Amino acid sequence: MIERNLGLTIFCHAVLLLGAAAVCLPLYFAFVAGSLTLQEVQQTPFPWVPGTHFLDNIATAWNQGNFSRLYINSLIVTVGIVVGKLTISLIAAFAITYFRFPFRMTAFWLIFVSLMLPVEVRIIPTYEAVADAAGPLRWFADITGISWLVGSVTGYQLEAALQWNMVNTYSGLILPLIASASATFLFRQFFLTVPEELCEAARLDGAGPVKFFLDILLPLSRANIAALSIILFIYGWNQYLWPLLFTTDAEMQTAILGLKHLVPVSDAEPAWNIAMSAAFFVMLPPAVIILLMQRWFTKGLVDSGK
Amino acid sequence: MREETQMTIDFGIKNAPRKFAKTLAAGIALGMLALPGAAAAQERVKVEWWHALGGRLGEVVEKLVTDFNGSQDQYEVVAVHKGNYEENMAAMVAAYRVGQQPTIIQAAERGFMTMLNSGAVVPVPTLMEEQGHDVDWNDFIAPVSGFFLVDGVPAALPFNSSTPIFWYNRDMFKEAGFDAPGETWQEVEKQLYAIKEQGVSECSMALANDFFWSLIENYAALHDQPYGTLANGFDGLGTEFVFNKSPLVVGQLERLSKWMDDEVLQIAGQGLSPEQLFTSGTCATYVASTAAHAGIGSGAQFDWSATFLPHEEGVEPKNSTIGGGALWVLQGKSDEEYAGAAAFIDFVASPETQVWWSKQTGYVPVTTTAYNALKSEGYFKENPTREIAILQLSRGEPTENSRGFRFGNHNQSMQLLVEEIQGVWTGQKTAQEALDNAARRGNEILRQYERLHASQ
Amino acid sequence: MQVDPFGAREIFVGFANFAQLLGSPDYRQSVFFTLWFTVIQAVVTIALALLFAFATDFVIRGRGLYKSVILMPYAIAPVISGVLWAFLFNPAVGPLAQFIQSLGIPWDPNRRPFDAQLLVIVASVWKHICYDYIFLVAALLAVPQSLLEAAKLDGARPVRRFFTISLPLVTPTIFFLMVMNVVYGLFETFGIIDAVTRGGPAGATNTLVYKVYQDGFVQLNLGSSAAQSVILMIIAILFTVLQFRALERRVNYQV
Repeated sequence: MIERNLGLTIFCHAVLLLGAAAVCLPLYFAFVAGSLTLQEVQQTPFPWVPGTHFLDNIATAWNQGNFSRLYINSLIVTVGIVVGKLTISLIAAFAITYFRFPFRMTAFWLIFVSLMLPVEVRIIPTYEAVADAAGPLRWFADITGISWLVGSVTGYQLEAALQWNMVNTYSGLILPLIASASATFLFRQFFLTVPEELCEAARLDGAGPVKFFLDILLPLSRANIAALSIILFIYGWNQYLWPLLFTTDAEMQTAILGLKHLVPVSDAEPAWNIAMSAAFFVMLPPAVIILLMQRWFTKGLVDSGK
Repeated sequence: MREETQMTIDFGIKNAPRKFAKTLAAGIALGMLALPGAAAAQERVKVEWWHALGGRLGEVVEKLVTDFNGSQDQYEVVAVHKGNYEENMAAMVAAYRVGQQPTIIQAAERGFMTMLNSGAVVPVPTLMEEQGHDVDWNDFIAPVSGFFLVDGVPAALPFNSSTPIFWYNRDMFKEAGFDAPGETWQEVEKQLYAIKEQGVSECSMALANDFFWSLIENYAALHDQPYGTLANGFDGLGTEFVFNKSPLVVGQLERLSKWMDDEVLQIAGQGLSPEQLFTSGTCATYVASTAAHAGIGSGAQFDWSATFLPHEEGVEPKNSTIGGGALWVLQGKSDEEYAGAAAFIDFVASPETQVWWSKQTGYVPVTTTAYNALKSEGYFKENPTREIAILQLSRGEPTENSRGFRFGNHNQSMQLLVEEIQGVWTGQKTAQEALDNAARRGNEILRQYERLHASQ
Repeated sequence: MQVDPFGAREIFVGFANFAQLLGSPDYRQSVFFTLWFTVIQAVVTIALALLFAFATDFVIRGRGLYKSVILMPYAIAPVISGVLWAFLFNPAVGPLAQFIQSLGIPWDPNRRPFDAQLLVIVASVWKHICYDYIFLVAALLAVPQSLLEAAKLDGARPVRRFFTISLPLVTPTIFFLMVMNVVYGLFETFGIIDAVTRGGPAGATNTLVYKVYQDGFVQLNLGSSAAQSVILMIIAILFTVLQFRALERRVNYQV
């Protein structure tokens, strides 16, 4: 269906071009900064035309920050976060939308309220929780006398055994971040738009809830899952504060931390050229993900089923 | 590590009753894995040190640590850059609460009270004594260690100390017809205005980001004005801010405000470091820490120099105060780690290290021995600007107003001061109002701190 | 509670923290600024994103390219984007600032609170447009072609089709995005504020969440920070409940 509405088409293109330009302008300047030498990057006024040192700066930045290891860490952690978040929120939204159980709305609201506090604000308690993840268990064991029992029977100290310390591990980096209220909320919105008739039809055909979920809901949600994957991947990739607090081992840090270390601080040299060029290759995986995933939107998968 | 990840993702989805058994199993397994690992240890004892120096300074730190590790084979110091001072502190606090803290931490001088009264530190002299290291605490340059003195010895090792000095663009000054900046604020004012009026430069002075330190706190110290009662807090927690009561301090702020209105003084703002304004040749002068030597040395393409901070006409200037970080040792670590920490501190305080560190970074050497070594090397003849900081720090006899300060939670009150002063830049308040507000709000914080630590 | 950051000392002060906060005029000013900042950036972000999404849906050529380009800012590390914006609009050296000044406007976020507030809004909107855009594009794609075809056969022009068919059908997503935008404005913008204005000048851009971060994380005043978080949470919950009550009625879930 080709629409012959030239005026509107031109208007839309214009809007999109302007939008794209506005959106990319800062990126362009970052690129310019990343292509200058240390001297040039300090000059005022700032040049609008890039220099020639982009690749050199990238090489310097990569080595300076030991990015090969950091990159891998970031990838593992981010993929873990995406998979974890998607799984949990899909299941949670499914439960909330399609089942009636006591405290259903309370659960929804509780999940939702947890949205309200970003990681940064609850960071110190979260750290305590994760570094000493078996703490509550220990406490429980103490109270009920289990630890005494185990101690006298086996000679093992239950206390010591229940030290579950996830500092400096991948699981520690991933787990605290995988509960997601926004993803749950999004899926709940989406599931609410799925026509009741589909659910009826499935039930008539003898499909149980799990089959309904896997064979009908999931395929329908593909566009949303794709969109969300992009968002979640980038969220996970760009996590700064949590890995900062949590990892003391330089080998376990993420790419973002490496980038931050390169950003000049007050008493040091303003090596913005290195930092900006590093910003680009740190940005690379998220950019690639965007480029890949956005094609899913055009596949028209969404149209089927309705 | 792959296994771990998988196991715990499964863990999240499977149901609760199995959780306990799995945790138990995991716990025991991990526990047993960890024990032999630690016992069959490396011969070296690891000592963790968290610091806040990144970029080029971070590189120098790495070299320092490598040198230490290479000089002996019993201990290995692992330096971790945990972000800036605040992030470093926050990380340490979080870690401390669950027993994951490092052995050594670098904290800013502002955090002194927080560290001292935390009950979480081992005073450095105590440590050194216990470990059998003989340290001559008198060798430490008085104004540097004076800040950290508790019962006559510094509780933490001064590490990267600096003081503000007056940087200027000699080319610009010559062009305007001056040989060097004047000694008094009045003379300097005339010169700065002349530079602007003659068109030599649009901006005569760049305002540093830590102007509250270099231009207000240090101003008070230099002119022997009390910043707070009870000797700036050294004599007790009942101290109150009184900087707003000093007409000189108020006058200084008014002067800066006037310069800003006349566009003689420029704020760099976010996204730009004021040092860049100076090194790019935009602004003619800059009041900043002596540690800017590294940046200015590499960035400035013109003839630059530095001199003492100006003082008021008719006032005999005292010494300036330091800023920067110190090394603290935290509690709760093993004896071997403490031995390693002590050895490292000894290494850092040794004259050779101090001479090297000071040359590399521009920070002030903390011991008189090191200072004399640099002098006899002729280092200061070749680089006269490097000596200004030390001369300024040791000028005259320190009074109770120029020793530094001891304010609880000074981070917060300093933040408030900056906010209030910004009200002056935006024209919403007068200098006196801003300072009065800052003092009032700062006092609330001091009282809160006092209440919290009343039992001490 | 007033706590010593190390957890060594705690005094239970009841509601003193809350009382102190609510009584302080600076805090109230923060609340005021936060509210109108959040609302403005929520509305502007959605409006712009909707415009872009509609345009993307409409044009045939270059769709993929536009999508990729408009989504790019989302990939940048927040730490970098904040710094970039601060730099671009820095009145002394920023290229965009100089451009504005050449138009005769005395731009100076360091000395003019309004400029700083504007800058913070623009930076937040810029960062968050991609988020709204992505979901709106996905939602527009879900509008059944059959309905649009039918309307076209009935003679409806594209813009009309958009307003009468597509828009109502994407209201679930719009509602979701409004809530998310408000949450974003209330909570996740502190990174930008920290990089761009640091809450200045003179507290003009001091949003509630920035204060929480400053007081808790930077100043280690955990007691006051926790109290502020509670107040902030209450505000957020109120906002959300209001939105659910008032707007969800207008949302069409079933076709």
